[in-house]
Amino acid sequence: MTAIVEAVNLKKTYMLGKIPVEALRDVNLKVENGDFLSILGPSGSGKSTLLNLIGALDKPTNGKMLIEGVDVSTLNDSQLADLRRKIGFVFQFFNLIPRFTARENVELSMSIAHMSKAERRKRAESLLETVGLKERMNHKPAELSGGEQQRVAIARALANNPKFLLMDEPTGNIDSKTANEIMVLIKRLNEEKGVTMIMVTHDQRLAGETKKTVQMSDGVITGEAVN
Amino acid sequence: MRSQDVLSYSFGAIRLRKLRAGLTTLGVVIGIAAIVALLSITQGLQDTITRQLETGFAADTLIVTSGGGLGAGAGGGFGGADSGFKLFVDDALAINETLSPDIETSIALIQKVGYIQSGERTRTVTLTGVDFAKYADIYGSTFVAESGNIPSTPENDVIVVGKRVSDPWKNETLLCNVNETVEILWLNASARPPRNETYTGNVTAVLKEIGGFGIGGPSDSGIYIPISQAESFFETDECTMIIVKLKNSDKATIDSVSEAITNYFEDQASVISATAVLNILSSIFSIIQLFLAGIAAISLLVAGIGIMNIMIVSLMERTREIGILKALGMKNRTVLLIFLCESVIIGLMGAVIGIGLGWVLANVVAMALTGENASVVMGNQTAATGRMTITPVLTPTVFLGALAFGVGVSVIFALYPAWRASKLKPVEALRYE
Repeated sequence: MTAIVEAVNLKKTYMLGKIPVEALRDVNLKVENGDFLSILGPSGSGKSTLLNLIGALDKPTNGKMLIEGVDVSTLNDSQLADLRRKIGFVFQFFNLIPRFTARENVELSMSIAHMSKAERRKRAESLLETVGLKERMNHKPAELSGGEQQRVAIARALANNPKFLLMDEPTGNIDSKTANEIMVLIKRLNEEKGVTMIMVTHDQRLAGETKKTVQMSDGVITGEAVN
Repeated sequence: MRSQDVLSYSFGAIRLRKLRAGLTTLGVVIGIAAIVALLSITQGLQDTITRQLETGFAADTLIVTSGGGLGAGAGGGFGGADSGFKLFVDDALAINETLSPDIETSIALIQKVGYIQSGERTRTVTLTGVDFAKYADIYGSTFVAESGNIPSTPENDVIVVGKRVSDPWKNETLLCNVNETVEILWLNASARPPRNETYTGNVTAVLKEIGGFGIGGPSDSGIYIPISQAESFFETDECTMIIVKLKNSDKATIDSVSEAITNYFEDQASVISATAVLNILSSIFSIIQLFLAGIAAISLLVAGIGIMNIMIVSLMERTREIGILKALGMKNRTVLLIFLCESVIIGLMGAVIGIGLGWVLANVVAMALTGENASVVMGNQTAATGRMTITPVLTPTVFLGALAFGVGVSVIFALYPAWRASKLKPVEALRYE
C-alpha cells in the first residue's frame, strides 16, 4: 500500500522565550490509504505538534514530512494552502464560524476551493444528512449541542473529498454518550467510505477503537500497536 | 475563493459588528462631507462671482490702468506699486487715434469713492466721470435707464444713478429718484487740510438693476456724471482707467491690442482683459479649493487612523477565525482581500453617504448666505451686488474624487492590518485565545 503520510526523522523545536523546547524528536511514521490511526499520549507528548505537521499547518525544524510523497518543507505558503484543501481537519473545540449556520460552515471549505454555490449547497446538505444533521442545518453553532457541532465539523472536513481526516481530540469536549456516537460515525466513514483517519487522543479506550495506535511520550514514538 | 464569495464574506463580517462598522463609517462620512461641502460651496461661489464679473465686465473690453494691477490708479487699489506713471483723459483719444484698427473706441473714467448722507446713515457710492454716449455704447446691456433718460450730450449738472443708490433698502423707500437733486460728498484728501467737497446734481436716470460687478463697468452703487464735470470737480485730468472696446473678443485681438497699448505707454500701463481677470480668479479659487480640501482631508486622515485601529482590533478578535480559514486552505492573498474588501465597503458607504450629506450641508450653507447684500470696495472703486445667490456646484470631478478619496483612504489604512492578517501562521492563529 502507498504511504499517504510519511514522517522521516521529524524534529520540531519551539522557542519558549530563549529556551529551545524539543516538541518532536526523530519521529518516523507511515500512514497508509484507508488506515485509521490513533496517536495516543499524555498532554505535552508532542501528538498535537505531529498532527499540525501532518496537516501542513506548520513546518518541521528538521526531517521530512511527506504528504503523498511531497515534502511539506519545500512548499511555499500558497502551495501549503492548496495542500490543506486536500486534508480534512476536525478540532477539539469544533472551530466553527459562529455567524454561519451549520450548512454555511460546511459550504465555507467548498467556497474556499472555488466550488459553485449550487454545487456546494447540494453537497453540504448531503454531508449534513450523512452525519445526521439534516434537520438542524440552518442552525448556528450556538444553537447546536457540542456533539452536533462536532458533526458539523466532520461534515465540513469531508466537504472537499480530503485525502485523509485529521482529528485532534474530536471527542474531548463532549459528553461520553455523544462521544460514542461520534466515534461510531467516524468508524463508519472509515469502514464504509474508506476515508483515511488520523486521530489524536489521550483516551486509551478511544484509541482501542482505531485500527492502529501509535504511543507518544516526550516527543518520541514509544510504541506502535495494531488493534 | 470566488470574488462574490469574498465580497459576501466581508459583508457578513461587517454586518456582525454593525455599531462598530457604523462608527468607523461615520469618520469617513464626516471627512467626505466636509470636503464635498467646502468644494461645492467654493465652486458655487466661483461660478457666482464669475457670472457677476461677466455681467459687469464685457469680454470685448480691455481695461488700461496706470500700472501694476487692478485699480492701481489715482486712488490706489490692489496690486502693483505706484511708479509715478499716470493716465490722463486725453490718453483715451490717443489710443483711439493712434493704435490698432481692432479698437472700436476708448473712454476714460475718473472714479472716486463718495458718500451720500441719508439721515444718520452714510451710503458709500462710486462717483464716476464718463462720456455717457460712449459708455452706453460699450455697456449697452447694463448702462440702461430703468426710469428717466440717459442723455448722450448731457447738461453739466446731470447725474445717472445705479439702482442701489436710488433704492438701497429694496423696499421702494427711495434715497433719490429721477428729477431730484442729490448731494454727494467726496473727501478731498489732497487739500490742506483735507476737506469734504460736495457735488450737487439732478438725477436724470436710474439704471436698471445690474446685479454683477466688474472693473470699469456700470454698477448698482455707481453715480455717473459727465467726464468734463468730473475733471473740474476733482480738479484733475488724471483718469483712473481707460476702457478700450475691441471690434471682437478673440484671443489674438486681445493679445495684439494689449501689446500695442503696453508698448505705447512704454510698459508702464497695465492692460487687463476680462479673460485675464477670470483666469486669475480661477487660479485663486483653485488655491482656495486646494487649501480647504486640505483642511477637510485632515478629518479624513483621522477617519483613516480610526479604520486602521478598528481593523487591528478586528484582526485580534478574528485571529482564530483566520486560523480556521487557513486550515481550510484559504490562501494569504484571499485573507488580505477579505480585509481590504471590508475597508472598501466601509470607504464606499462612507463616501456615498458623505457626498450626500456634504451636498445637503452645502445647500444649507448656501441658503444661509444667499440674500446677503455684498458690497465690495476696491481702492477707489466700489462694486456692489444686488443679491449674492450661491448655488453649490458638485462637479463630476469632485464627486468621483471624493468617492476615490474615501475608498482610497480606507484601503490605505487597512493595508497594514490586512497584511498582518494574511501573514498569520495558521498553527499560531488556531491556538490564539
